[in-house]
Amino acid sequence: MSAQAPIINEFNLGPISCHSFNQDRTELAVCFNTNVVSIFRKAGAAWNLVSSLAEHDKPVTSVDWAPKSNRIVTCSQDRNAYVWTLDSATQQWKPTLVLLRINRAATFVRWSPEEDKFAVASGSRCISVCYFEEDNDWWVGKHIKKPIRSTVLSLDWHPNNVLLAAGCADMKARVFSAFIKGVDKKPAPSPWGEKLPFNTVCGEFTNGTGGWIHSVAFSPNGDALAFTGHDSTITIVSPATGSVQSVRAPYLPYLSVLWLNENQIVAAGHDCAPHLFEIKGQQWSFSASLDAAVKKADVGFTARDTFRRMDSRGQSTASNDTEVNTHHQNTINSIRVFSGTRDHVEQFSSSGIDGKLIIWSTDNIAKGLSNLHL
Amino acid sequence: MAFRKIDIDALEEDALRQEELDFQEIGEPRPQHEVEAEVNSRAQEVRSLLQRGDLAGALSTSLQNPPYGRHLEAAKARNTQTVMEVLISIKVADMAQFVKNLSFEEQDVMMKYLYACMANPEQSNSGQILAWHEKLSEVAGPGCIVRVITDRRTV
Repeated sequence: MSAQAPIINEFNLGPISCHSFNQDRTELAVCFNTNVVSIFRKAGAAWNLVSSLAEHDKPVTSVDWAPKSNRIVTCSQDRNAYVWTLDSATQQWKPTLVLLRINRAATFVRWSPEEDKFAVASGSRCISVCYFEEDNDWWVGKHIKKPIRSTVLSLDWHPNNVLLAAGCADMKARVFSAFIKGVDKKPAPSPWGEKLPFNTVCGEFTNGTGGWIHSVAFSPNGDALAFTGHDSTITIVSPATGSVQSVRAPYLPYLSVLWLNENQIVAAGHDCAPHLFEIKGQQWSFSASLDAAVKKADVGFTARDTFRRMDSRGQSTASNDTEVNTHHQNTINSIRVFSGTRDHVEQFSSSGIDGKLIIWSTDNIAKGLSNLHL
Repeated sequence: MAFRKIDIDALEEDALRQEELDFQEIGEPRPQHEVEAEVNSRAQEVRSLLQRGDLAGALSTSLQNPPYGRHLEAAKARNTQTVMEVLISIKVADMAQFVKNLSFEEQDVMMKYLYACMANPEQSNSGQILAWHEKLSEVAGPGCIVRVITDRRTV
């Protein structure tokens, strides 16, 4: 059990707005809700600050570290994105400005699986799909505009490097083609469509009860899409069968969603704990909370007792205990793969407003829970 | 801070407006008389179920297909009245059992009506409504409350 206990990294530097690891997980890019992205290097159990990426002048909203090409992309409320490359001689990160052409904050950024493109979501009702133009030595962006009606809050790339899912504040999740001529090869046909010129809308989905779509994620093989909304639902659509399933959770809304494998999804958000959803037969349902933190014994005092205790001890409040029964002490805003493969995630990391970054292991989930529920 | 009062959406040609969101979430507005006729016939059906003592049937019927839309204030008030009549005829001790038998959809609709009743305390029995709220949130959790807040289809 001890090997599988969550690994808690506490930075105490403020709320974490986004995080991303390098390929071998020895370095970590993290933003503490400021305009600076800090790069930490692992030293034993500790993380040492090695450099700071300070080029944005408004809070950084998202960061993504490309594992193979070792480049970092950051985007910010200042409407800019930078691609950072490590200068091998000086070991300094060098920024390159990206031409996004947006007039509102950039909200989310992700590298494509091949790392030859990245997509930036923004408040100006568009997604900027950026690719490197050799001729001009410059990253340029091409806009996906229609039919987005509000701020795009999250993105996820399909493993084929062409399709892009977007969760939007207009209460819809959409799947677009982000095919760039000259960069991409023609993708193989998938349930999402066969002919895929840029900005093709391959799907548009709602969760039934409204609310912003906070997070989107393609299944490991890309044939299904999961998204979470502010109405505390998680919806799984698979275009091959035409099935759309909304699971209404009895908990607070989820801000981030991640597939562990084809049959298990983890979602986390305002409830401060990652929750597991599983498919049984054809039906998705809530399975368990992955945070097995010990519940504090409920002190069954009556109101009269409470007031008497307050009186006798001179306390101003009934209790000074403000801790939540979970490892995260506040909203989790991002969960990402830490180890394993796309179709078999072994560990994932979560970061949140409490300034903690926690690494969760999934082996005991796969074994323990399936025994429990089957 | 005067600039905070500027309606920047007015300057934007293609802003997302209330009507568009309503249309997206609720659909084509239904004619007022049609909805009112539906609400009235449901009220009668619920009343006859209540008289026959079929409380579960009355509760479930009253929560079906609620009137949504900004132009239907009268029908909404009438339907809230119908739901409330059922809610106050069920004893506090039996509430938990009724809540458990509702579908997820019905639970969410019921939570909407509980808040609608709380908005007009003079027309309802607040004690009973609060008891319902307690029982329903035990079963449906904060998720159900969040859905009521998020949903643009208000009752």
